[in-house]
Amino acid sequence: MSELTIAMPKGRIFEEAYVLLQKAGFQLPDDLEDSRKLIVEVPDERIRFILAKPMDVPVYVEHGVADIGIAGKDVLLEQKRSVHELLDLKISQCYIASAGLPNTIMNDIAPRVATKYPEIASNFYKEKGEQVEIIGLNGSIELAPMIGLADRIVDIVSTGRTLKENGLVEYEHIVDVTSRLIANPVSYRLKSERIRDMVKRLKDSME
Amino acid sequence: MTPIRKFEKPLGMRDSFPLINEKKEKVRGIGRRFFQLRGFDFIKTPTVEYYETVGKASAIPDSSLFKLVDRQGETLVLRPDMTTPIVRVATSKLLKEQIPLRLAYFANVFRAQEHEGGRPAEFEQMGVELIGDDSVFADAEMIITASELVQELGINSYRLTVGHAGLLQSILTQLTQSDQQVSELRKLLVEKNMVGFEEAVRTFGLSNEEEQRFIEFIGQASNVQSIQQLRPFIDETNDSQVTMYSYLSELSSLLENAGLAKLVTYDLTLTSEMSYYTGMLFEVFASGSGFAIGNGGRYDGLLQEFNSDVGATGFGLRVDRLLEVMTTTMNREPHTLIFFDSANYVNAVHKAKKLRNQGIRTTIQFIGNVEDKEAFLANFTDVVWLIEGDGNNE
Repeated sequence: MSELTIAMPKGRIFEEAYVLLQKAGFQLPDDLEDSRKLIVEVPDERIRFILAKPMDVPVYVEHGVADIGIAGKDVLLEQKRSVHELLDLKISQCYIASAGLPNTIMNDIAPRVATKYPEIASNFYKEKGEQVEIIGLNGSIELAPMIGLADRIVDIVSTGRTLKENGLVEYEHIVDVTSRLIANPVSYRLKSERIRDMVKRLKDSME
Repeated sequence: MTPIRKFEKPLGMRDSFPLINEKKEKVRGIGRRFFQLRGFDFIKTPTVEYYETVGKASAIPDSSLFKLVDRQGETLVLRPDMTTPIVRVATSKLLKEQIPLRLAYFANVFRAQEHEGGRPAEFEQMGVELIGDDSVFADAEMIITASELVQELGINSYRLTVGHAGLLQSILTQLTQSDQQVSELRKLLVEKNMVGFEEAVRTFGLSNEEEQRFIEFIGQASNVQSIQQLRPFIDETNDSQVTMYSYLSELSSLLENAGLAKLVTYDLTLTSEMSYYTGMLFEVFASGSGFAIGNGGRYDGLLQEFNSDVGATGFGLRVDRLLEVMTTTMNREPHTLIFFDSANYVNAVHKAKKLRNQGIRTTIQFIGNVEDKEAFLANFTDVVWLIEGDGNNE
């Protein structure tokens, strides 16, 4: 049995995905000793987890240093990396939406959109036939319309509470997001048995 | 923008230092002997081609082409692959002289510059094209040649995945209601986006049974050891499907005869962005690189773009990725240094000539200009001192 390297996003998605793997019958220890470790070995299953920033998971998988990984659809849409998307794990469900101050319209001359998803945002407005100016931010996107940096934001929404608390309203629902199991194209061929077995077991346990 | 520093090269470009260069030359040498032995002739074409012809027809998407403008205002491309230029030469000239044609190349090709590492804008490819033969034997020859070349290069852990673009097209057409659905599904298969594929199928408004058939197809036809496992997805009443299927089984038995059974898997969902792939297509994967090291296939459609209706098939390997995968370390060949002082120049030249005539790689160096002798000497396997009063003069 070949060793499988799995890139996992740190934090909440990791815990949910870990439980999924346990449910699928993988013998994983209940608590991983040290949460600051970046590489965790599970010798019994010949699995090695590498813990990465959610945005970086597809990078590790595309370059083949991880065979498979768990990544949000938002990240996959934003980065367009050549990885195989094998399974919708249906965990950490949320969506990407545009939002802004209530009852406002976009500036006619230079409509500005603040986001940490420049690709998704510009594609969305392109499809609508609008050309917008994108302002890239890394967090607290809600600030942008409040202090006049942008007319709209494009961001991930799970409950909508953050928007509400900051006096913003949702304008357009852009795309639904869940976590996906992704694979490196070479690993998908060279370790096909292990990967297909994992997909099958996860699929079965989710039903 | 920060100013350009003296040491910088344009984005995406790489230097080949002597050791890497030697390794490349070794690969080139192996490839050259290998292809010549199999009856392929080497060809070179210009680095720069017209965008209108080669650029547009090539398998590389427009946004990945390295473009320039010439003095007449024509858009040029740095050749993105070798297949298209070779087809240009073949259809305009060579095919009139000989058919079928077996051509080989080892050349640098170019892609638009990208910021991220691991995506060079210039890299070498080697491969072959077999133009003017549309038989299954030609296709088998390509897959077998690719496999043997990979072995010849000392790569042991590799796999080949074989598909059939025409058969996939036919199956998708049959299962869907419009061309638009077919192209949507094909696009998802290029990315191997299984999730997107299933989602798309659900929006088509098919019956449960039809949907189920689709999902079985994507799940089961994408990785099989034996061609018989694909049989259930073939419509026995559809003549062209049956013909393509028997073509694929014939190919598979040819590969089996060549001893490739354990190395080949079949994937009916394998496809490419380019519509000019009409028949068999394949990819080569090796452990040690996260990307395919090569690919090939039948591209009769490309010949049609150059107004020729003869068939063509071929493959190419990426040399930069081969180097990542090849584990063999280079042995340092014997290299003698003759260290001389000002009184011994003539002796040194004489001695060097003698050694070189024996086939020994020899460098002569004036000792007075070498500051760190120890570091310099480390580059050689043997040293001859021609220093006054050293007693070593011959």
